[in-house]
Amino acid sequence: MQHIRDGIMVVNTETIAGKVITQNLGVVGGSTVRAKHIGKDIGALFKNIGGGELKAYTELLEESRTEAIARMVADASARGANAIVNVRFATSAVTAGASELFAYGTAVTVE
Amino acid sequence: MRSIDARVRILTASLLLSVLSSGVAMAQAAEAPKEDDSFILICCLGPFLLIALGFAVFGILWTVFAPIMFVYGMIFSERNLRKRMSDLVLRERASIEHFGKDPLSTLRGDHIVGGVKETGLVYASVVFSPSHWQLLIAWINQIFGGRIDVIHRVISVGRAEAKQRLREQAQAAGWDDVLNVRIDTAEMTPASKPKGTKAVEVFAYGTGIKFG
Repeated sequence: MQHIRDGIMVVNTETIAGKVITQNLGVVGGSTVRAKHIGKDIGALFKNIGGGELKAYTELLEESRTEAIARMVADASARGANAIVNVRFATSAVTAGASELFAYGTAVTVE
Repeated sequence: MRSIDARVRILTASLLLSVLSSGVAMAQAAEAPKEDDSFILICCLGPFLLIALGFAVFGILWTVFAPIMFVYGMIFSERNLRKRMSDLVLRERASIEHFGKDPLSTLRGDHIVGGVKETGLVYASVVFSPSHWQLLIAWINQIFGGRIDVIHRVISVGRAEAKQRLREQAQAAGWDDVLNVRIDTAEMTPASKPKGTKAVEVFAYGTGIKFG
């Protein structure tokens, strides 16, 4: 996993240890709505009977989250930030079978 | 992974194709003598018949497999859960040995005075679901109210799994510590069962920190 994307530091703490925030560039966010295809869904249905982890869903959400973060980072770099602090995540089931993943944080410049 | 747009495009294309082909067939049939009425019928109803056949096959498979798998869940779901619990204990012990302590904390990092080389986001998630057998037990428990231990066990194993994956991610990325850990729980609704939650997603994230 990359911890620095396109030269932008992403953390979920309010400050970055050892750095000073010099400028606040506003809230940035990225979101994505994903659904799995029916084959995977039926697979999950059968897996549900034994209980336990549903790997298809875990992978789906992992991919979506990576995409949401990438969009947030793109938003921040468009604003000329070099770090995003206090990142939070939100998930919502918009319709059955599809979920929205939303990542947001504050774009800042640090020194 | 193919994007949703691509899937929608393929679906629309195939729909258009089926409409077009049935149109062509109808045009051909119109030119042909009257005996070919059944041919037109098959051409028009073809896609619908295929869909109906698919549903029928799925229905038959479901009625055959559902009871078998229900019994499977009855026998194995608790055993699988126990196995995962004991696996988790071992994995937790291994990563605590690697870090020298539990790396996860909900502290915001104000206690760190200096010597930080790098920071970055680290996250891990798991989608977990109770089996149909466990849901039945929970449903029976709900009649009497009170504590529902079956579901509690499933959720706590899922949460422990997410935390352990976060530790493993931190270990893989080379962080020394993970600060400001948050654990979110979100409901997943399968498309096949729009009513009622059948799976929960546990998502753990925090800020990795490396001392230099």
